[in-house]
Amino acid sequence: MKRCLPILIVAVILAFSQLASSQEDMTVIAPDAFGKLTRPAATFVHDQHNEKAGVEDCVLCHHGGSDGVQDPESSTEGIPCADCHAVQPDKGTTGLSKAYHLQCISCHEQSGKGPLACGQCHVR
Amino acid sequence: MNTIYEFVTGPLAWLTWTAFFAGCAWRLASMYKLAKSKDTSSIAFMSWKYSLRSIAHWVTPFATLGWRKNPALTVATFLFHVLIFAVPIFLTAHVMLWDQFFGISFPAIPDPIGDYLTIVVIALCVFFAVRRLQDPNVRYITKKADWIALAIVFAPFMTGFLAFRQILDYDTMIILHILAGEIMLVAIPWTRLSHMVFAVFTRSYMGSEFGGVRHARDW
Repeated sequence: MKRCLPILIVAVILAFSQLASSQEDMTVIAPDAFGKLTRPAATFVHDQHNEKAGVEDCVLCHHGGSDGVQDPESSTEGIPCADCHAVQPDKGTTGLSKAYHLQCISCHEQSGKGPLACGQCHVR
Repeated sequence: MNTIYEFVTGPLAWLTWTAFFAGCAWRLASMYKLAKSKDTSSIAFMSWKYSLRSIAHWVTPFATLGWRKNPALTVATFLFHVLIFAVPIFLTAHVMLWDQFFGISFPAIPDPIGDYLTIVVIALCVFFAVRRLQDPNVRYITKKADWIALAIVFAPFMTGFLAFRQILDYDTMIILHILAGEIMLVAIPWTRLSHMVFAVFTRSYMGSEFGGVRHARDW
């Protein structure tokens, strides 16, 4: 037990440090806006993903836009997706889950890499 | 993986739908031609009134003597046929794909209920299989084609259940699931599953004969 104690303490500190997470620590996509999730949160380690995918331009994902039309020029870095994409979308706008699905899957299709089917991201 | 997934959900899916609709159209047209040359009188006595009366009578659970005679089979049959359409169309994961591929959105069956209903379909397939083996009357008229038809419907639900639960290798299972669904669609016109397109006509034929020729009820 004595040996385990320091490891336990480090584990607890690490676990709590996750609470104060920024983008660098992001491992899953689970915005609070969804409330109770219907599927396991999609795995997404922000920095590791972008390094592997060679994504340097933030606006590639963090796009702007209005009235359901995307503006690939204006960056919205730092603004939560859910601020624009409502969980229950109005007509002519893109809902939050659809926004994530479109964003991730269309890029994976174009690059020929990365998950496409439901359970590849929503791993049980 | 991505290449296979994109192939089975892309070109192969379109080929499947084309084969399904063309196959159904071909089977209906050739059956009509056959009826016209071999059974002209049947076409002459076909009646809208008695056809619709018979269809309405037989799609109502327990309305006919046949349905009343075997209540368990009646419940199983109606439940099975409703579910094999409702579950694939309204399942949450499939509703997501309707939106992703075709941009149409409609209400979905929540995941836990969809999972439960899939188990019901699988259980009903087992029920039909056991019945074919146990009931001497059914066993006597059961042919290989009946087993093939049952297996073709069973496969997409079983693989869908395993893919949803992520039992065994997911990447393999999801491909098998899509392929199983495509096999089912292509097989519909050419196997015993063709009753999907022929049932209304066989029912109409019987209804018209009982109503218009024999002047009797169709029991």
